[in-house]
Amino acid sequence: MSSLDAVPGIVAITAVTVATLAIGTWGLRISRTTSDFMVASRSVNPRLNASAISGEYLSAASFLGVAGLVLAFGADMLWYPIGWTAGYLVLLVLVAAPLRRSGAYTLPDFAEARLASRPVRAMCSLLVVAIGWLYLLPQFQGAGITLRSAIGAPSWVGPVLVGVIVLANVTSGGMRSITFVQAFQYWLKLTALLVPLAVLLAVWLGDGSPGARGGGDTAWSAPLAGDGGGAGLYTTYSLILATFLGTMGLPHVVVRFYTNPDGRAARRTTLVVLALLGGFYLLPPVYGALGRVYAPEQTGPATDVIVLELPRLMLSGLGGEVLTGLVTAGAFAAFLSTASGLVIAVAGVLSQDVTSRGPRGRRIDGVTAFRLGAVLAVSVPVLTALAAPHVGVARVVGLAFAVAASTFGPLLLLGIWWWRLTDVGAIAGLVLGGLGSAVAVAHTLAGEPVGGWGGVLLAQPAAWTVPLAAAAMIAGSLLTPGRVPPHTRQLMVRLHAPEALGLDRA
Amino acid sequence: MSTDQPARHDPIYDDLHERPEFTELRSRYRGFVFPATVAFLVWYLLYVVLSNWAGDFMAHKLIGNINVALVFGLLQFVTTFLLAWLYSRFSSARLDPLARQLDEEYIAALEGRTTIGREG
Repeated sequence: MSSLDAVPGIVAITAVTVATLAIGTWGLRISRTTSDFMVASRSVNPRLNASAISGEYLSAASFLGVAGLVLAFGADMLWYPIGWTAGYLVLLVLVAAPLRRSGAYTLPDFAEARLASRPVRAMCSLLVVAIGWLYLLPQFQGAGITLRSAIGAPSWVGPVLVGVIVLANVTSGGMRSITFVQAFQYWLKLTALLVPLAVLLAVWLGDGSPGARGGGDTAWSAPLAGDGGGAGLYTTYSLILATFLGTMGLPHVVVRFYTNPDGRAARRTTLVVLALLGGFYLLPPVYGALGRVYAPEQTGPATDVIVLELPRLMLSGLGGEVLTGLVTAGAFAAFLSTASGLVIAVAGVLSQDVTSRGPRGRRIDGVTAFRLGAVLAVSVPVLTALAAPHVGVARVVGLAFAVAASTFGPLLLLGIWWWRLTDVGAIAGLVLGGLGSAVAVAHTLAGEPVGGWGGVLLAQPAAWTVPLAAAAMIAGSLLTPGRVPPHTRQLMVRLHAPEALGLDRA
Repeated sequence: MSTDQPARHDPIYDDLHERPEFTELRSRYRGFVFPATVAFLVWYLLYVVLSNWAGDFMAHKLIGNINVALVFGLLQFVTTFLLAWLYSRFSSARLDPLARQLDEEYIAALEGRTTIGREG
C-alpha cells in the first residue's frame, strides 16, 4: 500500500475521533451524578434516544459483517439483520415496559429484585460481563482489520486506538454524554453507507448491470440453496431463536431502556428505533450483492472488508478515494458507538459488584468505581482481540447473541410472565444454558471445525441451549415451590400495571 | 434501591390486584400480545419452511436478479415495523385510559389512610 492510499482513511479516522471527543466533552458539562453516569438521569427524549440506541446497536457486525456474509454465503444471511430487527420487537412487546417499571438499573438488579437472591445476582453479573466482553471482541478485531485495510496499519493499532478513545469518552462523561455521541454516530453510519452505495449502484448500472460472476451465477440469491435439508433448516431456526431472544439479553441494549423517563416513552423510542434499524439494514446486503459481482473471489474472514474495498474496486481516482474515506469513517464510528455502549454496561455492573470494594473493605465512591470498571471493561477484550485469531466479525457477534438468548432470554421471559420462578430454577437454567453456549463459543474461537451434525449444533447452539435452559428453569422452580419469594405478587403487580399507574417505583 | 424491596409488603397491592379494572387491563394486554406473537412467529417460520421445501417458488425471478425470496425478506422488515406500530397504537388507545383510572383510584386509596410507616 502506498502512502497516498492511506490519506482518505487517515482523514476519516481523525475526523471521527475529533468529532466524537468534541461531542463527548460538550456532554460533559451536564454529567455530575451517578445517575447521570449510568442512566443519563432518565431524561433522554425518545427521538434523541432512538438515534442513540440505533447508533449503539449497529455494530461492526452490521456495518461490515452482514455484507461479508452475503458475499460469502448468499441471501440466506439476510436472516441476521431480520433477526436483529425483530429481536427489538420481541423486546418491545414482551419485556421493555415491565423491565423499565421494575425500577432497577441493570439486569442483575432486576434478577435480585425478582428472586431475592444474592447468588442469582452474582451469576447475572458474571454473565453480563462475559457477554459484554464476547461482544466487544469483534468490535476491536473489526477496528483492527479496518485500520489495516484503510491505512495499512498493523492490526494491533485498531483495537488499541478504539480502546483508548472509548475509555476517554466513557470515563469522562458516562451515559449522558455518550448518548449524544451515539446519536451523531447513527446518522454518520447511515450517510457513510448510503452515499457511497448510491454512487456504486450508478457505476453498476453504467457497466450494464452485470450479474454475479463465478460461484454458481445467481444461485446465491436463492435461500438455503447451498445446504438445504435438515442442517440448513436447523441453522436458520437456531439463528432466529438466538437473534430474537438474544437482543433482550444484550447488556448494552437493556440498560438503554432505563434512560427513558417512563414505559410510554420506552415504547415510542422503540418504534423509532425499528424504523431506523430497518432502513439501515437494507444497505449492507446490497454491498454484499455488489461484492458478488465485482469481487467474487473474496473468501473467509477477508469478506469482512468488502464494504471498505468495494469503492476502490469499482471506482478509480479521487471518487474512489473519497468514498473509501466515507465508509472508513462509518466503520470507525460503528466500533466506537457499540464499544462505548458495551463498556458502559459492563463498567456499570463491575462498579456495583467488583470495583466498588477497595483494599481492606473500604468503599470506593460511585463515579470512581465506574471509571475503574471501565478500565477493566476495555482492557480485557482489547488484549483478547490481540491474542485471539480473527474468526469473522458477524460470527462472533452471533455467538454473543446465542449466549444471551440461552441465559437472559428465558430468565427475563419467565421472570416477568411466570410467578412460580424460583432462585433454584433460575440458577439451574443459567448454568445449563450458559455452559452449553460457552462450549459452542470455545469451539468456534478455537477454530477447530467439527464435521457433520456435531459441527452444525456447535456452530449455532441456540436451538438446543435455549429450550434446555428454559426447561431447567421450569423444572427447578416446580421442584422448589417453597422458594417463591413472598413479595412476588406485589412485584408482579408493579411490573404489569401499565405506565400511567404511579405506583411507588423507586 | 432493589434490596429493600422484598422486605416491604403493602396490602394496597392486593387490593389493586383484585380490582376488576386490573383484571381487565391484563386480559386486554394478553388479548393483543399473545395472538400477535403467534402470528408473528408463524410468518417468520413460513419464510424458512418455504425456503427449504419450495426452493423453485422462492427462486422464481420477478425482475432481473430480484427473486421471491428477496421480496419475502424485505417484507419481514415491513411487518416487523407494522406490528410495533400497531402495538404502540393499541397501548395508547386501549390500555393507557384504564391505567389512568386505576391510578386515580390508587391515589385516592393512599389519601384515605395515614402515611405513617410508608417509605416513598
